[in-house]
Amino acid sequence: MSMQKEESVKKLFTAESAKVDTNKGDQYYEELYATCQDRIEDLKQLKPLNNRVDFTESIEEQGLGRRDFLQWASATTAMLMLPASFTPLVAEAAVLMNRVPVIWMELQDCAGNSEALLRSDGPKIDEIILDIISLEFHETLQAASGHQAEKQMNEAMEHFKGKYLLFVEGSVPLGNNGTYGTIGASGETFIDHLHRGAEGAAAIVAVGSCATFGGIPAAAPNPTDAVGVMDVIKGKPIINIPACPANPSNMVGVILHYVLTGTLPELDSLLRPKFAFGYRIHDNCERRAHFDAGEYVEEWGDEGAKNNFCLYKVGCKGPMTFNNCSIIRYNEGVNWPIGVGRGCIGCSEPDFWDKYAYERPMANANIKAPTGGVEKTVDEFGLGLLTVAGIGIGIHAAASAIAGKREDGGEY
Amino acid sequence: MNAKPGYTQVKRRTGALRIIHWVNVLSMMVAIATGLYIAAPYYQTFIAEGAVDKYVMGWNRWGHFMVAIIFDVTSIIIFYLTFFSRVDTPWKKVIPNKDNLKEFGAVLVNLLTLNRRKDFSSAHNDSFNITYFFIFHFLMIWMLLTGLQMYVHGLESGLSGIGTWWPTMLHLVTDWTIPAATFLIGSANPEAGGTLMDVRISHHITMWLLITWVVFHIYYQFWRTIFWKEGDISIIVGGSKYVKIEDGENS
Repeated sequence: MSMQKEESVKKLFTAESAKVDTNKGDQYYEELYATCQDRIEDLKQLKPLNNRVDFTESIEEQGLGRRDFLQWASATTAMLMLPASFTPLVAEAAVLMNRVPVIWMELQDCAGNSEALLRSDGPKIDEIILDIISLEFHETLQAASGHQAEKQMNEAMEHFKGKYLLFVEGSVPLGNNGTYGTIGASGETFIDHLHRGAEGAAAIVAVGSCATFGGIPAAAPNPTDAVGVMDVIKGKPIINIPACPANPSNMVGVILHYVLTGTLPELDSLLRPKFAFGYRIHDNCERRAHFDAGEYVEEWGDEGAKNNFCLYKVGCKGPMTFNNCSIIRYNEGVNWPIGVGRGCIGCSEPDFWDKYAYERPMANANIKAPTGGVEKTVDEFGLGLLTVAGIGIGIHAAASAIAGKREDGGEY
Repeated sequence: MNAKPGYTQVKRRTGALRIIHWVNVLSMMVAIATGLYIAAPYYQTFIAEGAVDKYVMGWNRWGHFMVAIIFDVTSIIIFYLTFFSRVDTPWKKVIPNKDNLKEFGAVLVNLLTLNRRKDFSSAHNDSFNITYFFIFHFLMIWMLLTGLQMYVHGLESGLSGIGTWWPTMLHLVTDWTIPAATFLIGSANPEAGGTLMDVRISHHITMWLLITWVVFHIYYQFWRTIFWKEGDISIIVGGSKYVKIEDGENS
C-alpha cells in the first residue's frame, strides 16, 4: 500500500497540468488517421458479436436521422480533441461499436450509472450506442440469473480473453474479508469477482464515483472499508470516469477512443481521461459572471435564485471540481446541475460525499476537527482556538498585573 | 537619541526588516478580510446593479492574490536573511543545542513566573522568541503553498499570462500539498489519493492558527515591554531597544 502511495505522489509531481495538447502537428494526426483507418478495416472484417442490432436501423427506429447522427459525430470528435477531419472515422467507429466485447460488472452501488443510460427520456445517440455495444454480461440488464448468469460470464471471459473491456460500477468492500458484498449462486465476494473479471480484460473502465474513489459507500465512517477499483487492481490499464452518475457521453468517448485507436486516452493523475476531466467546472460555468460580481443566491427560491445568480453561497463546489459537465452537460446538452439551479456537489472528486456535498460554503461545513471526534465548522473551530488563546492571555495578563503591582508596592 | 542614564541602546532590527514587518501586517489584514469573503461571501452586494458593473468577488480575489504575492516575496527575502544576514543570525537560535535549550527554558520560566525570574540576557533576540517566529514561518510556508495550489486549479489549460512555465512550476512545487493536506484532515478512504478540498480546508484552518499566533505575538511583545522595562516594542518601530547596564555585562 505504501508503494502505491509513493506512486501516486510521484504521479502528482510529474503531472504537468490537465492540459491536452490539441495541436500535435500535421504529421502526428496523419499517422493517427492511418492507424485508425487500418483498425477500422480490421474491425469491419470481424462479425458483430452477440449483439446483432444494426446501428443505422436502431437510430431510425428512435426517430433520429442521419443528419442527427453526423452532428453527434462531429461533436464527439471535438470532445475527444481530434481534428474535424476525423469525423467520418468517428462515425464509422460508432457503427462498429458492436465488434468490441464489453463485460459490465456491478459491485457495491445503486446502479445509478446503468440507470443514467437507461432512463433518459427519448434515447439520445450516446445511449443508443451503449445499447448496441456488444454487452456480453451485465448483471442488472441480463435475463439470466443464478448459475446461468455465472456460466454466461465464464463463457464471455473465456471467449474474449484479453480482448474485452471490463466496465465496473460500484465500490469494492474490503472489510471483513470482503463478505459485505457477495454475488452469484456461489456467494463469491466482490473482490474475487472483480479480480476474476479483471484478469482477462484488455482494460478496465471504472464508471461512477463508487468504482473510481469509493464514492458514497466509502464516505465516513466507511463501514465496509470500501475502496475504488484502482486501489485493488494492479498491472492493468485502468480508466476512471467518475461523477455521480458518470456522463454517458464520457463513457462513449472512452469506448470510441478505444475502438478507433486501440489505445486509451490521455489520463490525469487520478486516471481520469483528460478530454473530459481537464476542465474545471467553474471556468466554463454559465453563472461565472455572477460569481465575480458577488451576486449570490442567499437562500433557495430568493430573488437571486430567480435571476440565475451564482450558487456559491448555497454550496456550489464548481471551483474545486474538474469535469466537463459545464461544457457538454447531460443527455446531449439538455441540462446540468447548475442549469437547474442547484450547486455542484463535486461528485467527480475523491471523498466528495464528505468534503463537497454539504450544500453550504466550505467555511460553514461540518468537518471533523483534526483530532477527530467532535464535529465543528472550520470557523467555529478557529474561533474556539482563538477563545482559548484569549483566555490564556487574559489569565496571564491579569496575573502579571497583580504581580507587577505587588512589586511596585514593595512587597517582595 | 540618547539613552536614559544607566541604559544602553542596542540595535536590533534593520530598516529593511522593519519595513517587511509592517508590510506583512498590512498584507495579513487584507488577506484575512478578503480570504474570509472568498471562503463564504459575508456581505451582500447591491442587487440593483447589473453583474457587468461590479466585480466584488473579483476584487476580493485580486486583493487576496496580490497580498499573497507580496507575502511570497517577503518570505523569500526573510528566508535569505535568516541565513545570510549581516547583522543577525536567527537560524543559529532554533538549533536545539544545549545553550539554546537552556535559554528557551529560561525565557519560558520568565514568562510563566510573571517576570519573577530572569536569568538570561535580553539584549539579543532569544531562542524562545525566535522559535515562536519559526512556527510563524512554518505556518506561512504551508499557507503560501496551499494557496498557490488552489490558484493553479484555475490554470488547468497549462497557460498563463506570463507563460507556460508558471503553472508547470506551481504544479511541481505545490502538488504534494494535496496528499499532505488529506493526511492532515483525514479521509474515510485515504487510498483514493487525496482531494483538492482538503487543501482548501487546511488553508482555512491554518488562517485561524495564524490569527491565534498573532494574538499571542502582540500580547507577548507588549508584555515584555511593560515588564522588562527595556522598550522592546520600539524594536519594530525605531529598530533598537534599551538594556540596563549591569555590572560585568556591558563591556
